[in-house]
Amino acid sequence: MTEIDLEELMENLAQCRRCGICRDAVYEDMGFDGICPVWKNTAGFETSFMRGKLMIAIALLEGRLEKTADNAEALYSCSLCGNCTEICAAEFDPTKSLELARAVLSDIPNEVRDAIAERILTTNNPYVTDKKGKRDWVAELGFEPPTKADTLYYFGCTAGMKLPETAKAAAKLLKAAGIEFAVLEDEPCCGSVMIRTGRLQDAKENAKKVLESIQESGAKIVLVSCAGCLKTLRKDYPEKFNLSMPKVVHFVEHFLELVKSGKIKLKPLGENVKITYHDPCHMGRELGIYEEPRDLLKAIPGVELVEMETNRRAAMCCGAGGGLRSYDPELSKKIAADRVREAENAGAEIIANACPFCEQNLESGAKLIDSSIGVADIVDLIVDLIE
Amino acid sequence: MDQKVVDELARIVGDEFVSTRDDVLLTYSASASIGYDSVRPGAIVRPGSTQEVADILTVANKYKIPVTPRSGGSSLQGEAIPRPDGLVIELLRLKDITVFEDLRSVRVGAGITFGRLDKFLNQYDLWVPVYPESALVCTLAGNVAVNGAGPGSSTYGCIAEMVLGLEVVLPDGTIIQTGTEGNPNAPGPFLRYAFGPDLTGLFIGSLGILGIITSVSVKAFKKMHHFHYETYGFDRAEQTEKFLMDLKQNEIGVLFASIYEGEILSFFMDMVEVEFGIPKHEWPPFTISAILGRVREDQLKSDTELTKRICEELGGHVIGISELPRGEWDKRMWTFARTSYLHGWHWRILYHHQTPSNWHRSIEEIWAVMDKYGLLGHTAGFLTGHGSYNFYPHLYFDPQDREEEMKVREAHKELAQRLFKTGAVPFKLAPYWIEDVEEMKDYLNLIKTLKRVMDPNNIMNPGIFGEM
Amino acid sequence: MNKRIVSELAKIVGEEYVSTREDVLLTYSETASMAKDPVTPGAVVRPGSAEEVSQILQLCNKHKILVTPRSGGSSLQGEAIPKPDGLVVELLRIKGITLHKELRSVTVGAGMTFGELDKFLNQHDLWIPIAPESALVCTVAGNVAVNGAGTGSSAYGSIAEMVLGVEVVLPNGEIIQTGSEANPNAPGPFLRYAFGPDLTGLFIGSLGSLGIITKVSLKTYKRMHHFHYETYGFDTAEQAEKFLIEIKNNDVLPMFASIYEGPVLSFFMDMVGEEYGIPEHEWPDRTISMTIGRLREDQLKSDVRKAKEICEQLGGHVIGISELPQGEWDGRLWVFVRTCYIHGWHWRTLYHHQTPTNSHRSVEEITAAMDEHGFLGHTAGFLSGHASFNLYPHFYFDPLDREEEHMIRAAHDELATALYKTGAVPFKLAEYWKGRMEGMEDYMKLLSAIKEALDPNGILNPGVLGGI
Ligand SMILES: Cc1cc2nc3c(=O)[nH]c(=O)nc-3n(C[C@H](O)[C@H](O)[C@H](O)COP(=O)(O)OP(=O)(O)OC[C@H]3O[C@@H](n4cnc5c(N)ncnc54)[C@H](O)[C@@H]3O)c2cc1C
Ligand SMILES: Cc1cc2nc3c(=O)[nH]c(=O)nc-3n(C[C@H](O)[C@H](O)[C@H](O)COP(=O)(O)OP(=O)(O)OC[C@H]3O[C@@H](n4cnc5c(N)ncnc54)[C@H](O)[C@@H]3O)c2cc1C
Ligand code: SF4
Ligand code: SF4
Repeated sequence: MTEIDLEELMENLAQCRRCGICRDAVYEDMGFDGICPVWKNTAGFETSFMRGKLMIAIALLEGRLEKTADNAEALYSCSLCGNCTEICAAEFDPTKSLELARAVLSDIPNEVRDAIAERILTTNNPYVTDKKGKRDWVAELGFEPPTKADTLYYFGCTAGMKLPETAKAAAKLLKAAGIEFAVLEDEPCCGSVMIRTGRLQDAKENAKKVLESIQESGAKIVLVSCAGCLKTLRKDYPEKFNLSMPKVVHFVEHFLELVKSGKIKLKPLGENVKITYHDPCHMGRELGIYEEPRDLLKAIPGVELVEMETNRRAAMCCGAGGGLRSYDPELSKKIAADRVREAENAGAEIIANACPFCEQNLESGAKLIDSSIGVADIVDLIVDLIE
Repeated sequence: MDQKVVDELARIVGDEFVSTRDDVLLTYSASASIGYDSVRPGAIVRPGSTQEVADILTVANKYKIPVTPRSGGSSLQGEAIPRPDGLVIELLRLKDITVFEDLRSVRVGAGITFGRLDKFLNQYDLWVPVYPESALVCTLAGNVAVNGAGPGSSTYGCIAEMVLGLEVVLPDGTIIQTGTEGNPNAPGPFLRYAFGPDLTGLFIGSLGILGIITSVSVKAFKKMHHFHYETYGFDRAEQTEKFLMDLKQNEIGVLFASIYEGEILSFFMDMVEVEFGIPKHEWPPFTISAILGRVREDQLKSDTELTKRICEELGGHVIGISELPRGEWDKRMWTFARTSYLHGWHWRILYHHQTPSNWHRSIEEIWAVMDKYGLLGHTAGFLTGHGSYNFYPHLYFDPQDREEEMKVREAHKELAQRLFKTGAVPFKLAPYWIEDVEEMKDYLNLIKTLKRVMDPNNIMNPGIFGEM
Repeated sequence: MNKRIVSELAKIVGEEYVSTREDVLLTYSETASMAKDPVTPGAVVRPGSAEEVSQILQLCNKHKILVTPRSGGSSLQGEAIPKPDGLVVELLRIKGITLHKELRSVTVGAGMTFGELDKFLNQHDLWIPIAPESALVCTVAGNVAVNGAGTGSSAYGSIAEMVLGVEVVLPNGEIIQTGSEANPNAPGPFLRYAFGPDLTGLFIGSLGSLGIITKVSLKTYKRMHHFHYETYGFDTAEQAEKFLIEIKNNDVLPMFASIYEGPVLSFFMDMVGEEYGIPEHEWPDRTISMTIGRLREDQLKSDVRKAKEICEQLGGHVIGISELPQGEWDGRLWVFVRTCYIHGWHWRTLYHHQTPTNSHRSVEEITAAMDEHGFLGHTAGFLSGHASFNLYPHFYFDPLDREEEHMIRAAHDELATALYKTGAVPFKLAEYWKGRMEGMEDYMKLLSAIKEALDPNGILNPGVLGGI
């Protein structure tokens, strides 16, 4: 359902008591070392973290603040990372409430948001105004996956267009593991960013389209390599749009099973390679997938898994989500740079991740601070290690 | 003093309790402060109630008469020396004591000495565990006014830490009560920080410049009956200093702990060894005399063992002579006065605080100044509170030798400046500490501002902190 | 706010750190204080140093702009709500921690929260044993400004007891350092009572009305690792209250001890019993939930035995359910916030102190008010030092029901008067106490005079400190 229960939303928003813990809580016992990456990487006014964002949302909804693009800035300067929800002591989910408020307030002008939605709706990707390029990586595979199979590799826009190596690696992995899989001819965007930025009605239409395409492929399992796609397909579609989806599985989950059952074996990556794992918000806090990627990394011979100061439920975000990378690219990259520093401080040579969207931003962050750290998708790491 | 004023004072306190007799004025021209010039006041008044104090201050304010509050008159740094033709208000007639067992507190009038309070509380098996070494003469109010310290302070800190509230008469005669008792409905003193900013603190250490304390409410504790007296020997100053901090850090109930440097201890022993019955001993370069005390015996045992361990881990040894600390503690209300006077010298004192790890710096400066001026002297001190160490160096002079006295005064001033540079802070602020210190100008300005607003005619103990 | 002033501010802190945007101002119009009307300021500025704060205050003084100091914005009684078109000076950018290991102390910038500090000190196996229940958001400086208390206070008192000195910017822009650090040569903070009257105290509990604290120096302690969690049951309030006093008298170290009245505890258990894994139990009329803590295990054991003995002597019994105190203690930086919000109500709090033996009077008055006005609520409290008990009653209202909210506001204010009459004193002298403290007129006059002296233009948080 896309009908938002406004009364319920207002009740939820009223649960915020403005305690402010969601600003910068450092709570060693629970692993928190700061909360809001936006607060930390901006001038730091109250508008930058959740307490202020909710005050703004309420004021806009109640008509106490004029609905202008400027006044709505606080709502969009947020990666919806959910760290604030994790620490919030009240009985509601501030991140979700903010996401819903964006939807209710979607009449407030926002060019970035609308341009992205426009592209997704017309060209099946949020990045460019034509469809070209999204499937180019397939041509470089050396084999042509079918468009129909029991298993569908739903590769997603970012892997397809921005990080084709990851998409290729994923496909090669599948092949090496002997899994027959399909790739859609014209894969629609999952529409995650439309949900996040408040274009809910359009997201719903788009979701139907996605489901149709998936159904056409005959897939019983949808494999994804993107945390955003995972959360959107697995959780948002059924919960928000009432769509009944086939099983949606992340590569990491899938390959961990294969490794565990001995179906595939991995060669050493090197000697004592220090790798840290960055929890994508959509996979960690949203879906509770914390250990699988770590277990998979630990299963690689020669890898020493080191943890960053913040990890798992308290992990700082890479800064890309919630539409922030498009809305405020500079800020988004600064946040990523912070995360890269955290990885460096942990002594890691590589930041592993399980989301091309995170990867892309972490790379930008590394570049911003001239870091020589490696940023790699777990898929990329293991593709050459299969015996 | 103008007879009109004296008459008004007499109307307030009764003829009996005001005096302008020469002989009387003479006895109020000095205090226990040796090495200070006497100053003859114009009148003495001995009020018997807070209201009388208020009325007196109203009169003094009206005629702009400088006022010196005085209690025991035992202060050592000239704090209670009057102004020429000024008025001394002596507070010893304010004698109430009220105990609040449920509140773990007691309230005393400004005339109550530590000795008297101790005897009173003993009936309830209670005590106030901080004793200035002048406990038999000095009043709680006077000690709060200077923020004193003494035996017990090694655990409990200075007297400030005991205070729960004050009744104060402001220079304009207004009577203020701080702490919980500010609420007239309160069952008594149970919390110092009760009504906004801590006004109690404003009068602690104020040397009577902001108002007259007529009543003091302090914490009372169940009296301890378990003590352990011990001496600990060390070869190096750093070990000794570290030992004190480690005791605090490990929550040892160390009621009183003093460092004695070898030479000073020898001198001290020559003086009191026989009188205190302390066995002969080759004292190490550094000796710590400590009294551990606890409410419960098993706690004391645990403390005693851990203290030994800490001492030995630092490379020290337990000396096993208990007479020194026992003499210090059991007779704490008298013994220190005795050691201050036994030798026959007069002296000037330079009370100050260091942190224990800086203890040796004070010693160095004190020796250096004594050498430079060719003076005799003595210094001791004790751990006070969380991380400080209270020093009371004495610079000796022959009371009959005016020249030597003047030399001591000069040396004293230089020593204050040198100590300040080592990072020491005053124990009882006096002008010679900060007079010319640029960095403290703003700080002094703030005190001045407060003084100005509370005492616009500057009648209260003017000049005691320097020009206000 | 006047454009010229805004551009002056921008010159001081940089364009980035000053804002007059409507949305920004809106977010500074409120704090964690519920049932308080928002007030939109004219500008917000985020200085990065004491020097910048000083320049800002000089500017404001010149133009008579009303200033609200603000740190975490977590205060509950309207202490940091700005003035219309006033300036909010938000201090979170002033970071910095300096550990003084040999002095057993630490200095933090005004922007440091308790959570940050605790994590830092933990690396050195140290801590500050007191944490307000809002430790993850509130700053040490902000807590000193309100003189907060929380877990750990049952043994160590309010945060005031930890303070060794503050760096404070006076309304006229002067930067003052109090405590031993006032001596620029001092090795750091080792004594609060260093230079005459205790100026530190003036800023403790001042609600930002006398100056802006830019740094706080505090005592540190070796971190405790031995705790015992226990619940004690009693049939009467008197027994439970006496228990707390006896615990303190006998030197048992209660890190945190709360009294729960039967019905309040049931209500509380309905709310969180399951979440905290507390077993079902027929709770007695009064339950004390207590965490005893000690550095050393033998001391802890001894304390546990003593507590049991005292409990039984008073006719109580050891309940044996440890989950409640353990949940409170182990989760102390977060769990109380949870308990405050989990039930969905908004509320107003009426922070105050009683002495333990009077705490039933508060419960009576609060229950009576709830019955009379027909609202829901909850009250709990904890031992907070030598002989005080900190109560934090919450009066519930539906956030979407304006009428109920106004009823709560009125009931709250009425209750303040009633509580004062029972002998309670404010915990934080917030605005609503104004005119409710009969018999304290002279005290408030002195406070006003001091305020006027330090802040002649009345620019700092006017009206907040008990209406001053
Ligand atoms: C042998 C000896 C040993 C000592 N040892 C110690 C020691 O261990 N620790 C220590 O702290 N001190 C010690 N002192 C110093 C002295 O005893 C203290 O300073 C004491 O607190 C003074 O108290 P008093 O009642 O005698 O006050 P006074 O000497 O009468 O006055 C002291 C100061 O306080 C002011 N004052 C007095 N009463 C009031 C009042 N009611 N309201 C406002 N202001 C007032 C006076 O104006 C003056 O400035 C010692 C003195 C002697 C003689
Ligand atoms: C859920 C919850 C639980 C709480 N539990 C407790 C508790 O257990 N104990 C407790 O004491 N409090 C508690 N509080 C109240 C609050 O957290 C404290 O009052 C806290 O000290 C406020 O600190 P802050 O940094 O948020 O200051 P703010 O709320 O920003 O300001 C508080 C006051 O101090 C002034 N101020 C702030 N910073 C400075 C400065 N640097 N210099 C001068 N003045 C300044 C402000 O003007 C204002 O008057 C709780 C609050 C919440 C929301
Ligand atoms: S969102 Fe939650 S954590 Fe943040 S201010 Fe509101 S109640 Fe507190
Ligand atoms: S979701 Fe993340 S970025 Fe957004 S307000 Fe919360 S913590 Fe900040």
